[in-house]
Amino acid sequence: MYDKTVRRRRAVLALLVVLSLILLTAYFGEAPGGGGLHSMQRGFLTVVSPIQEGANKALKPVRDLFGWFGDTLHAKSQRNELLKQNDKLRKEVVAEKADEHGYHELLALYRLDQLSLNDYRPVTATVVDKSPNLWYSTVWVDKGTSSGVQQNDPVINEEGLVGKVAQAAPDGAVIDLITDSEVGVSSRINGTRATGVVQPKVGDPNDLVLQYLPANTSVSRGEYVVTSGTISSPDDSLYPPGLLIGQVSSVDEESGYTSVNVHPLADLHNLNVVQVLTDARGSKPASLGSLATSLPSSGQTGTGENGQLATTGTGE
Amino acid sequence: MSGSGISGSLLTRIALLVVVVVFFQIGVVSEVPVFGVVVDLSPLVVAFVGLLCGSTVGAATGFAVGLLVDLALVQTLGVTSLIFTLIGYWCGRLRELRDPQATLTPLLVGAAAAAAALVGYSLMEFLLGVDAPVSLELLRQILLGVVVDTIVALPMWAIVRRSLEPGLPDDPRRRRRRAYTTGGLSPLSRA
Repeated sequence: MYDKTVRRRRAVLALLVVLSLILLTAYFGEAPGGGGLHSMQRGFLTVVSPIQEGANKALKPVRDLFGWFGDTLHAKSQRNELLKQNDKLRKEVVAEKADEHGYHELLALYRLDQLSLNDYRPVTATVVDKSPNLWYSTVWVDKGTSSGVQQNDPVINEEGLVGKVAQAAPDGAVIDLITDSEVGVSSRINGTRATGVVQPKVGDPNDLVLQYLPANTSVSRGEYVVTSGTISSPDDSLYPPGLLIGQVSSVDEESGYTSVNVHPLADLHNLNVVQVLTDARGSKPASLGSLATSLPSSGQTGTGENGQLATTGTGE
Repeated sequence: MSGSGISGSLLTRIALLVVVVVFFQIGVVSEVPVFGVVVDLSPLVVAFVGLLCGSTVGAATGFAVGLLVDLALVQTLGVTSLIFTLIGYWCGRLRELRDPQATLTPLLVGAAAAAAALVGYSLMEFLLGVDAPVSLELLRQILLGVVVDTIVALPMWAIVRRSLEPGLPDDPRRRRRRAYTTGGLSPLSRA
């Protein structure tokens, strides 16, 4: 009797472990966005997103209460910092207004047709849930394919780049934040041509790292990092150029490359409302995106500087 | 109870508890960082179900919770299931072999389960080849995660025990221990 119990217990454990490993292997074997297990995840998302939305509304007062305490504690230090930033930005705006005029004249002169935010159709969505995991930084929003949201669409808020759509169901979508280990954004230091890839530092949710900058790139603390408007692999999202990502917090010189630590500008811990930049069928982002996915990956062929596949003209 | 004496009532209670905790975790707890980290209730639930119901139920609950978490958060399927299955089984074996009764047992089990979940997850991600630089901050986050999970372990234990106890079969060992402490069936009291 005892032996039978022990055998059954071990058999159940072995079965569950093997089942987990089979799931893991099968999931990795599937192409992202296709295959049975990914479809199952999307189906689950479709079923639970209305429930999540309802629960989110019901539990909002609880969250707001906790959020209020946290916000009050940080408000004073943020205020002083913002006042300093405001002074600095005012001076910069005055200087850049003059440059802007000349820039537009030059654009018209060369008839450069740039990809810009205006080419996208923004869909405003409310964040309903967040991932608690250290390795995955994801949030759920209440808008999905029925509102035009598609996989890989860029997501922004009023502060800057937030992430991209990982999965979309009819009434909801999962957003991979820029601090998620699976996200990489082609970026550049604002005002320079030097491009690299912004990646998260796993385990450090408040920091990003801009890698693969040329070694001679001059970067100083406080400079802004923006999207370059290019993609580094066919699976990437085509972010519009010039979107604010973060501010340089420190610089590391490595062999052959400069690596820059970046503090994200968007407060990713307190996301409430975001905008998904959807691209209407036949629009410029859609056609550029499909062009990029049809090209071979950057490692296989000679591509542009820093290995980008598609460039949209960042208009330096 | 190692799996044979599971009543329908207990299964229903476990299923309800798991669903409520996972959605509460995603919808509310994840929104409230404590010391810069988020409390993770799911390994605690798995550990405590194992501690109350035994290894087989613990492992099965771990698998189910892991699958639910991976599905809901659009993570790699199977990773969390694997880790939680082992946590649930280990906690169930602890009960079957030693049946710890100390008040601090849930605290220690909760801390161990949180540590196992965080370290196990990190190891799995390393093995699966995460394509991102890993900072030393990860270690601090893991330690803080264990601390905050340990803080909520006792209230979580109380919730899990209250939810499942009506469905648990009466354990002869516990009944005997209760009887001794009240003097009812103790051989000494007969003398």
